[in-house]
Amino acid sequence: MAKIEIENVYKIFGDNPEAALARAMAGEGKDEIHSDTGHTVGLHDITLSMEESKTFVVMGLSGSGKSTLIRHINRLIEPTAGRIVVDGVDVLTLNDADLRQFRRTKMAMVFQRFGLFPHRTVIHNVAYGLEMQGVEKRHRQDKAAEWIETVGLAGYENSYPSQLSGGMQQRVGLARALCGDPEVLLMDEAFSALDPLIRSGMQDQLIELQEKLHKTIVFITHDLDEALKLGDKIAILKDGRLSQVGKPEEILLEPADDYVAAFVRDVNRARVLTVDVVMRPPSLRLTTENIDAALREMQGHRDDFGYVFDGDDFRGVITERHLRRAATTNGNSSVYDLADDSQTVTADSVLEEALPTILQSDTPVAVVNNDGEFRGVVSKRELIRVLTEHREEPDEAAQEPKRTGP
Amino acid sequence: MADSNWLIEFPALSRDTLRLLQRSIDETFREFSRSYGQALEDFFEPLLWFMIWFERLLLNAPWWLVIAVIASCAYLASRNWKMTIGVIAAFLAIGIFGMWEDTMRTVSIITVCTLLAIVIGIPIGVMMARYDRAQATITPVLDVMQTMPSFVYLIPVVMLLGIGRVPGVIAVIIYAIPPVIRLTNLGIRLVDKDVLEAANAFGADFKQRLFGVQIPLAMPNIMAGVNQTIMMSLAMVVIASMIGVKGLGQPVLKAITNQYFSMGLFNGLAIVAIAIVFDRVSQAYGHRIQKHRQVGH
Amino acid sequence: MRMSITAMAGAAVLALANIQPAAAADCGRVTIADMNWASAEFAAYIDKIILETGYGCEVELVPGDTMPTSTSMMEKSEPDIAPELWINAARTALDRAVAEGRLIYAAEILKDGGVEGWWIPEYLAAEHPEIKTVEDALKRKDLFKNPEDPDRGAFYGCPAGWNCQLTTANLFRAYKGEEMGFELIDPGSAAGLDGSISKAYERKQPWIGYYWAPTWILGKYPMVKLDFAVPHDKEHWNSCTALAECDNPKMNSWPKSEVYTVVTPRFAKSSPEGMAYLKKRGWSNKVANEVLAYMSDNQYTGEDGARYFLEKYPELWKNWVSADVAAKVKKAL
Repeated sequence: MAKIEIENVYKIFGDNPEAALARAMAGEGKDEIHSDTGHTVGLHDITLSMEESKTFVVMGLSGSGKSTLIRHINRLIEPTAGRIVVDGVDVLTLNDADLRQFRRTKMAMVFQRFGLFPHRTVIHNVAYGLEMQGVEKRHRQDKAAEWIETVGLAGYENSYPSQLSGGMQQRVGLARALCGDPEVLLMDEAFSALDPLIRSGMQDQLIELQEKLHKTIVFITHDLDEALKLGDKIAILKDGRLSQVGKPEEILLEPADDYVAAFVRDVNRARVLTVDVVMRPPSLRLTTENIDAALREMQGHRDDFGYVFDGDDFRGVITERHLRRAATTNGNSSVYDLADDSQTVTADSVLEEALPTILQSDTPVAVVNNDGEFRGVVSKRELIRVLTEHREEPDEAAQEPKRTGP
Repeated sequence: MADSNWLIEFPALSRDTLRLLQRSIDETFREFSRSYGQALEDFFEPLLWFMIWFERLLLNAPWWLVIAVIASCAYLASRNWKMTIGVIAAFLAIGIFGMWEDTMRTVSIITVCTLLAIVIGIPIGVMMARYDRAQATITPVLDVMQTMPSFVYLIPVVMLLGIGRVPGVIAVIIYAIPPVIRLTNLGIRLVDKDVLEAANAFGADFKQRLFGVQIPLAMPNIMAGVNQTIMMSLAMVVIASMIGVKGLGQPVLKAITNQYFSMGLFNGLAIVAIAIVFDRVSQAYGHRIQKHRQVGH
Repeated sequence: MRMSITAMAGAAVLALANIQPAAAADCGRVTIADMNWASAEFAAYIDKIILETGYGCEVELVPGDTMPTSTSMMEKSEPDIAPELWINAARTALDRAVAEGRLIYAAEILKDGGVEGWWIPEYLAAEHPEIKTVEDALKRKDLFKNPEDPDRGAFYGCPAGWNCQLTTANLFRAYKGEEMGFELIDPGSAAGLDGSISKAYERKQPWIGYYWAPTWILGKYPMVKLDFAVPHDKEHWNSCTALAECDNPKMNSWPKSEVYTVVTPRFAKSSPEGMAYLKKRGWSNKVANEVLAYMSDNQYTGEDGARYFLEKYPELWKNWVSADVAAKVKKAL
């Protein structure tokens, strides 16, 4: 079951949202409703499902409604219509006291402009969540000190936020969010205000932490590279409507509309896509130790190379030329020993890292997982196709993202 | 002939109508005073006893003890030896020039006025910051309180409560409370929305937001308001003495009526000295609690 | 009575001789000092109305105050009439001017004179008929309870800086106010003193303190003057009671302030009829208080006060003028 379910959420800003809601539900456009009623449609029929322990990224430009959306999850903003269910509980049914309890224990938030308390020292900022939970003082100070250590700010416990740089301040923000041990981490453009270099460092730190913590993270960003880097799943929001929801490679390789296509066009795919995205099953699996049997099998096939397996065990790649030479010089050799297993790439490495290996190899390179198990192969041609796809077919429509409404 | 007069002369209400109006307003007020005056007096009685008790405390305590207490307050607030010595010098000078008793009375009434202004003003300011409607209603009332000549409300206050300390304090507070209300409201409204949202997101309730975030962050503004309130109370002391408030105002008033130049000057300077002491100490305190604002990185 | 007969006779003669226009022409232009306090103000307007409508004078009011007006009258014969002059303020100079024929005293406009003293409200006097003198009152600190110190009585003194502050304080000592358990309260200002009276009156509370007449306060809130039990001792007054340094004040009482209408000989000569009127015109403090209270209640000017007086007290002012003049004034109202 999903951790967070957002169901048919509408948000309309204005004095009389109900009237405008009916029009929005009837399918009228945002501009039309605005010029007629003065109401702004912030979110239009959003339905999303966020898995436990995954990072869900909501991406969109400013005004797309992404910051509004994340504030619906902890009900800092109330929807005009729809349901928000966290752990099976409809958040909208909570009374004030329950809502506070929910915010104190279930989730924590990291803000674009940090939102630190300027009158509290770092340690008191970090301990704020525990303070709200009513944790006794000594205990929360200890816990806060641990987290300050974890984010690399040891020694700054008694500094005030104004004494820290932006990156350090956001580390405090992150520590503050994590210190209360929330199940859900809401990150609203958490790294957008930081310098590129520091931002990248923070992203790495978040990935590293997530590997240990397995929180459910909802991450808002306007930066597609960041979305692709962090997200297990990405939702693209435009003018308050969902354009596409999918895994990073789905977004990248199968953009649902022109808007998304225009977005992904300038992405450096080599840095974003991982090997497993372009990986295919091997065209020829050789499971025999015998050279002649292997040659026979290869001759009945269009390719002049094959991938050698000893049972489930991958032994390497071998070419027809190699086999023939071995047959003439040393007919008794085992195919298993002849196979070359020096050239492999790991499934979750990005293409950029795998690129040299793949390009230098004459045959498609075998892909293995972290435990060395064979997963598939990746060919030069496939690689080039994926990396250059969007340049081959310049699409006029994609130059200018069009409105996706009716 | 009379018909076109309104073009030249302002078509004012007739004298009889105006007279009727004034009479009915006066009569209504008198009626109110008859019906509720005693109840109001009873209501303010605890305040009266507190003021009398506090004034006696200051008057009966040995002068060196009073100076010692004031000086230590000044030091605790400012952590500044120079300022503390200045405070001691000012009060010694006041004593030497024979104005100790009147000064003690004035310090007592100013202290009570300031405490009351804070106790009443800050909650009102908080309410104004929380509800726009409260702000819309209260702001014009504050404008009236600040601009209405004080003599105008001195008369009804005296009719309700007689002359003496309580009406004096009320008159002073009416005049001096607007800054603390306005600046509390402003200070809280100026608190960074992001910070407040962060408190909300972590499940802070109204009290935790108010006392943990809004008031601490609004403190520089609130302190500026308190400071102005003290200054305005001191300015009002002379006027309050016109309804029988004892203190430095009375000799000043006497000096005005009789053109006793030096008497007016001495007592006026004593008021100035108290003002400077209160002003510097409260400002130093305001700065000190805002340490985190001054440091950069 | 003799006066009124003479006046009527004079009026009859004038009527028979039909020299009315001549008399009016004789009166000519008259200036009256319009003092800057309320009782003098309405007096000036009463004179203006009667002299204009009854005697055909052409009256101009000029602003005035005790010292400047009396000096100007003595030195320059301008203005012609000072309806309400408190002569204590300039007695020596005035007496000399009268002796030298530069000024003439007309009627004593305030028959009771200007009165200062210590008063209690009328309702309290009715309730406590035993309180007649200052000493009676000072025995009752329980009655005149001080709200800020219930063990003591409250005595509302004269505002700081006024002359009466000295006299009140000295008399308060002479009558042992402090020993009797009273606190002499400085009301700070006339407004404070008035406020304390109106507050007490509206709620029918006891009140004791200094005040003076004629004033609107005493018209609106009638009070009874307490008897000091001793006559005015002028010598002790001047040597002690009225001074700041008065080591051993004795019991004493305020003198009555004499308040006269003062006229220049020029006017007396040019308008003997008008002069005859001014020699009779005057009223009690009770009437003055009443008119002042009416003015104050309605926030009226001296002119309104004068008209109110002329309408309210015809039996009073008709004695000052001939029937003929009275008719003319009445018609003009």
